[in-house]
Amino acid sequence: MTSDTELEVKPEETQEESVITKKDLFRSSLNLGSLGMEFSWTYYKQMNLAFCLMVAKMLRKIYRNDEEGYRAALERHLAFFNITVQFAPFVGGVAISMEERIAKGEIEPERVNDVKAALMGPLSGIGDSIFLAVIRVIAAAVGIALCEAGNPFGPIAFLLIYNIPGFWLRIWGVQKGYELGVGFLDQAANGGFMAKAMTAVSIVGIMVVGAMSVDMFWATIPIEIGVGEEMTTIQEILDGIMPGILGMAAFWIYYWLLSKKISPNWLIIWTMVLGVVGAFFGFLA
Amino acid sequence: MILQAILVGLVGALGCFDYQLGTLYMFRPIVMCPLVGLVLGDLQTGLAVGASLELLFMGSISIGAYVPPNETIGGVLSCAFAISLHQGTEAAIALAMPIAVLSLALGNLTAPIWPFFVDKADTCAKNGNLKGIYAVHLGIGLYGCLEYFVLCGGAFLLGVEAVQGILDWIPDFVLNGFGVAANILPAMGFAMLGRLVITKKLVPFYFLGFVICAYMGVPVLGVAIIAIIIGIEKFDLLGGAVDAPSTSLALEGDDDDDF
Repeated sequence: MTSDTELEVKPEETQEESVITKKDLFRSSLNLGSLGMEFSWTYYKQMNLAFCLMVAKMLRKIYRNDEEGYRAALERHLAFFNITVQFAPFVGGVAISMEERIAKGEIEPERVNDVKAALMGPLSGIGDSIFLAVIRVIAAAVGIALCEAGNPFGPIAFLLIYNIPGFWLRIWGVQKGYELGVGFLDQAANGGFMAKAMTAVSIVGIMVVGAMSVDMFWATIPIEIGVGEEMTTIQEILDGIMPGILGMAAFWIYYWLLSKKISPNWLIIWTMVLGVVGAFFGFLA
Repeated sequence: MILQAILVGLVGALGCFDYQLGTLYMFRPIVMCPLVGLVLGDLQTGLAVGASLELLFMGSISIGAYVPPNETIGGVLSCAFAISLHQGTEAAIALAMPIAVLSLALGNLTAPIWPFFVDKADTCAKNGNLKGIYAVHLGIGLYGCLEYFVLCGGAFLLGVEAVQGILDWIPDFVLNGFGVAANILPAMGFAMLGRLVITKKLVPFYFLGFVICAYMGVPVLGVAIIAIIIGIEKFDLLGGAVDAPSTSLALEGDDDDDF
């Protein structure tokens, strides 16, 4: 099977001899290692085992006549690795295209881990913003609304919205990474593409967060003032000034506290204390 | 009861096995709680608890060095207790965060032994023993699943009475207070995400998103689509900005001539 595809693809893909086919790359983007990036996660070397397993089959092909080279390559790819999981196959593609050149002696073996390390930071920054701050929040907003209405499709909608972009990125990323190879870093840095993409993603993330701080904040201040006809609550006055103002205030207070390096776990505990005190005296609901 | 405990344990284990399936985020309360509801025969409560806890744990994501409370075990157990004790969402909310913090601490107990096995994988690589590396990967992961199974199933089996006692003992205003806190805490989650993406230059976009939602009532998905369009326009990410406008301008010009 594999060798058939190889013969078809080879002439049009590269002038040079390449044993790695598109099918190999595709498979690696959905194999046990690629999908299990966080399964064997440890504080020690994080995703190193899964990364090695993701590329192992292709390493075997590249070093099919070189047992020593294969073993060294396996060990190389057991180095510390950590990334937003959906970007892992992209880095795998880059690594494999470099390994082909390492096998030919064109570049130093150590270089591949330098490149992997250089990709981890920026890609995780952009990946966490896309997947955690944007797609996950949108998926959760849709899913929560359905769940609150008692619709069992809520969790399914959440999973679909969150995962379809991720799997697309895995499958596309591994091919793109292989194609770009080591040249990717220079190209991306020169064009300033990474910085632009990061800013564009940030804008989406920020606007979503801004919208969510109105939509998903329910605490109110039910203190009553005035008597009879004139009676109103602080909440009504606040809503009159600007709807959602309390959620926005809470957002920026937390934002400021987090910037002071206060642990989120402490903020959770203090919020619970505030909630209890507020409920007891009736100034929060 | 034992059957129920096993089922609850299995839901927890599935939450951990999710990390082998591509980190699908099945381990989040919004998926875990409805599943717990399903196995305990009360899907509606499961859905309601799932929605509330998903928001409560909005900021419970590992960014940088922060290891968050374990929302999976917190979600599974608090939902299971709420359903089997015929309590509402408030009880689940009150229980979820303490359980999640406790599970985080328990999970860290085994952390010191893993480097030994991870180094074993290096030896396997030196010997060309790929199967050995698979074994280490699956061993570490499946141990995690077993841990989730035992914690969720075991705590559910042994804890129901104790939890009932705790809930009876806690005064009502404390439970209400936890409910209030759960209404506030999503803001912390968003602030954590904000720390990830906000830079001084981009602060106005926070208010743009806020205003579109607060005054125009556009749902979050709509705000995201507007934001994507702004991002594409601002950086000309689709390219061809030079060609496109000039063509359309030319066409408009033609139209004007006809009049």
